[in-house]
This record gives sequence, structure tokens and C-alpha cells, in this order.
Amino acid sequence: MIYVDKLRKEFKKTIKDPGLKGSIKSIFKPKTIKVIAVKDISFEVAEGEILGFIGPNGAGKSTVIKMLTGILTPTSGSCTINGKNPTENRRNYVREIGVVFGQRTQLWWDLPLRETYSVLKEIYEVPDDSYKKRMAFLNEVLDLDSFISSPVRTLSLGQRMRADIAASLLHSPKVLFLDEPTIGLDVVVKDNIRRAIEYINNQEKTTVILTTHDLEDIELLANRIVMIDKGTNVFDGSISELKTKYGQFRELYFETDSPNPVNILNYENHFNFKPDELNIKAEGKTVKLSFNSSIVPVSDMLSYTLGKINVSDISVKDADIEVIIRRMYKHGENL
Amino acid sequence: MKKLKSMFKIHRIFIAQEFKRMMEYKGDFIVGIIGFLMIQMSNLLFLWIIFSQIPNLLGWTVNEVVFIYGFSLIPKGIDHFFFDNLWAIGHFTVRKGDFDKYLTRPVNTLFHVLVEKIQIDALGEILTGIALVCITIPKLGANLNIFRILIMIVLIPFITLIYTGIKTITASIAFWTKRSGNIIYMFYMVNDFAKYPATIYNRFVQNIITYIIPFALTSYYPALFILRGENSLFNLGLPVLAAVVLMGFGILVWHKGIRAYESAGS
Repeated sequence: MIYVDKLRKEFKKTIKDPGLKGSIKSIFKPKTIKVIAVKDISFEVAEGEILGFIGPNGAGKSTVIKMLTGILTPTSGSCTINGKNPTENRRNYVREIGVVFGQRTQLWWDLPLRETYSVLKEIYEVPDDSYKKRMAFLNEVLDLDSFISSPVRTLSLGQRMRADIAASLLHSPKVLFLDEPTIGLDVVVKDNIRRAIEYINNQEKTTVILTTHDLEDIELLANRIVMIDKGTNVFDGSISELKTKYGQFRELYFETDSPNPVNILNYENHFNFKPDELNIKAEGKTVKLSFNSSIVPVSDMLSYTLGKINVSDISVKDADIEVIIRRMYKHGENL
Repeated sequence: MKKLKSMFKIHRIFIAQEFKRMMEYKGDFIVGIIGFLMIQMSNLLFLWIIFSQIPNLLGWTVNEVVFIYGFSLIPKGIDHFFFDNLWAIGHFTVRKGDFDKYLTRPVNTLFHVLVEKIQIDALGEILTGIALVCITIPKLGANLNIFRILIMIVLIPFITLIYTGIKTITASIAFWTKRSGNIIYMFYMVNDFAKYPATIYNRFVQNIITYIIPFALTSYYPALFILRGENSLFNLGLPVLAAVVLMGFGILVWHKGIRAYESAGS
């Protein structure tokens, strides 16, 4: 479905010395450097898959998405989606994709939302009867009816995002690109949007590529993760693979009556944890810590804790994907 | 053919959207209309004061000068009315990365940008231009036959493209420099020279407005033929040729520019 092969994007950047003097100097003697935003990335996505595309800010996620959607022309390498090259046959290609950039909107700002859909209908040449069916379907999934007559500028962020997603789906695209679709939304709206994405993926076998900083999005939606950092691919695989490969981390949670449990236990010194192998959060009586279980086995950790203080409740679980990814963002590929 | 039909349909829908948009803010719209009428009246008054002081200009009678002035406003106004959105490209659409949305739609990007907005203020130029031409034509006498007036009308769309072409080329520069509003402005403002007979300027300016930024082709040269029947090949051929070349070059630069477009971080 989607083949990305050694995709690369370089930008020229003008370097200016600080201040007005620097700006004036750069008019006459511009110094440019080459910035490699995306460095020979390759991956594939199968039809009907939901791919979580993640990475820290500035890793090159948006640049990749923009190359895949035909907005940016790659410096080298290629991407083929549905057998089509986005930049060579752009107009033909974009008929088959839907794009949502969470930070921007493609809705007609000053007009009632309904007007946006009627214009997009013409732009994508959707026939009347399929348009009606499609609007009914989108309304059912995204619940647009309550605000479809309101001018777009009056919509809340959550409504606008739902409206934008509906706009990107109007022409029944085969591939849907979502760049941070849940940014700035409350939990209920996030949940709505996730369910809508899942439903559409289920119903229509729409392939979805999703970038987000909300790892819950990834955990609930994505079948697979591609993670990039500094323009290169650092992980490609399923969430469970990510967990088994990098997730020797466990979370230990307990409640205690002892005052200052963290000081009494002093895990760092007792087990010789390195700083990134242990993370402790203590709040009143409850203590939550995540630790690398390949350094200290869970059983040792438990018996040490139980032997040292009085514990009223205790549980151990697999590390949250968030913990893993936080570590990966911090260290790049050298885990 | 089918494609052309759908392009017209999209154009019509965009214009309808624009009118709905204006109606959405009724107060602003009404004040805009009042302001626009006041500007037009003061413009006409100003013109009348100027032209009533000059009986003739280097062999051009007042009526001829007013005709050249009025005729120059019509294609300028048409371009301004329909294709004003190019200014936005030069000023902020590219710089802020808002150009992304055009690239994700199955419509030619230049066409989409051109027809997306209309500029109602431009009706002033068009109406003033038509009024001045209509007032002067009866006074210009025997030389003006119906054939020449037809030629004049046929010429208008081509001359409009001279404006649109120059704006397209200068707006496209923004794809490389991120911002080209002032470049568009500088080139566009050269058209002020085109409102008067080119012979009143020195050779240097004449050459520039004939061959480099050819705004003299938008009114003065066509008027030489329409009013005096002079050298039809040069006076009619050159504006048509310039329109085709400028617009063609504009389309070329635009599409080259898209490949250099860098969007903006999000």
C-alpha cells in the first residue's frame, strides 16, 4: 500500500549573526547551511493498517507526512502510495488521500460549516447521492449535526477537529493522514475522535497514518509504530515488540504508613541503579516507581521493599509505553 | 472539456462563497460599500480637476487622454476583482505554511489560488474605467467605428492576463524567498505609468514600460490603434503576445516554485 524508500529532505537555512547588524550583514553575505530534516527513511504500511508515527518535536515527522501527502518534494528517495508518486501525479493522487493537520484547518473560516462540505463536494466531484450517504455516515460517526449550521469561527476546538476530520473523509479516501488530531483536546473529545478513527478504519479498511504526542492515541489505535528521531528511523514494529525489546521496565506501586518511605528504602544505593534505570514518584502514602527489571529482578525488588517497610497495598505491572518512549526520546537510538 | 466545465463550476462556487462571506458580516459590508462609493466619487472629481486644466498633452487631446486613462482601468480592475488572492501568496500564505491546503486538493494550485477570493473594491476601477471610456467614445468622432470597439473588447481579457501574469511571476518568488509582497507591489505599481500616453516619458522609461514591465501595452499602444488606426500588427499583436508570454512564464515559475516550497513547522 505505502512504500517509503530512503526518503530524504534537505533544507537550506540561512545563518544570521544575532541582532540587526547580523540581519543586515546576511543580506549582503548570506551564509547558508544544509539541514537534513529527514535522513533516508524507509518503511512500509499495509492496507488497512493504523500506523503510529512518533518521535520528539523536531524529529522530522511532519516533514515525512508532508512528503507523503505531496506538499513537499523529497530531495531524494521515493514514496509510492497506492502505486502513485505524490509529487509526480499530485492532482490524481490527492483524490485518494485525506489529510488533517491538527494545527491548521481547511474549513471556510467565516461560513457555516455546511458550506465547507458543499464546496469540498464539488472540488472532489462527489456525486449527489453518495454525498448524501457520506454526510449521513460522517454525521453518525462524528456527530456533526449540532454545529453544522454554525460559522466555523464559532466552533470549539473539539468541534473543529471533528469537522476537519469529516472534511478529510468526505471523498472516501483510501489513506488518511492525521497529524496530531488530538492536540489540545479534552479526554472526552479525544475518546470520541479515537473511536471515530477506529470505526472508519474498521468499516472501510482505510489505511491510517497518525502522528501524535499523546501515547494513549498510539496504544489504543496503532497496530504498529514507526519512531523517528533526528530524521532517522529508530524503531519499526508493533507495540508488544517495543515492550519486549525495550520494556524491561516494570512499575511498582505501593501504599505505606511509614514516614518518608523513599528515604528509608534508598533504592539507588542499595541496588546501584543508574539515574535512568529508576524513576520514583512519591505522594503522601503512595509510592510509584518504575525500574529496569534486567538490573534488579522483580522478586528482589519486592522482597527488599516488603522487608524494609510496612506496606498496606502493593502491585507490579508492565511499564507504560510512555515510560519506554520517554527513555527513547531522551537517548535516541543508544538504549 | 469536462475538466473545463468543472473548473467553471468550482469558480462559480468560490465566488458564491465569497458573497456569502461578505453577507456574514453585514455591517462591514455596508460600510465597505459606502466607503467604496466615496472613494470613487473623489477619484472622479480629482480626474475632472486635472483634465479640465490640460487642454492637450503632447498632441493628445483631453478626450484621448481620458480614454487611455479610463481604458487602462478596465483590465486592471478585472484582474484586481478576480485574481487579487495572489497578494496573499506573497505576503503570508507561503510564509505561514498555509499553502499546504492547496497542495492536498485535486485542483490545479494556481487556478485554486486565483479563483478562491474576489476583491469587491475593484468594482470601482472597473466602473470608473467603463464610465470614462463610454463618456469619451462619442466625443472621439469619426475614427472610432464599431470594428475598432469590438477589437477593444476582445483585447481586454488578454490585457488582464498581462496583469495576472506579472503578479503570478512576482508572487511565485515567495516560494523561494518565503515573502514577496513588496516585490509584487513594486512591479504592480509600475502600472501607474500606463495610465497616460507613453510619449510623455523619456526613452528610458518608455523602453521599460514597453519591453520589460510592459504596462504601456495595457492601454497606450492599444489606444494608438483604437483611436488612430496606427500600426495594428505592433499595437495589437504585442499586447496579445505579452499576455501569452507573461502568463505562460508565470505558470512555469509557479510550478517550479511549488517544488521549492518548504511549508512551515507545525
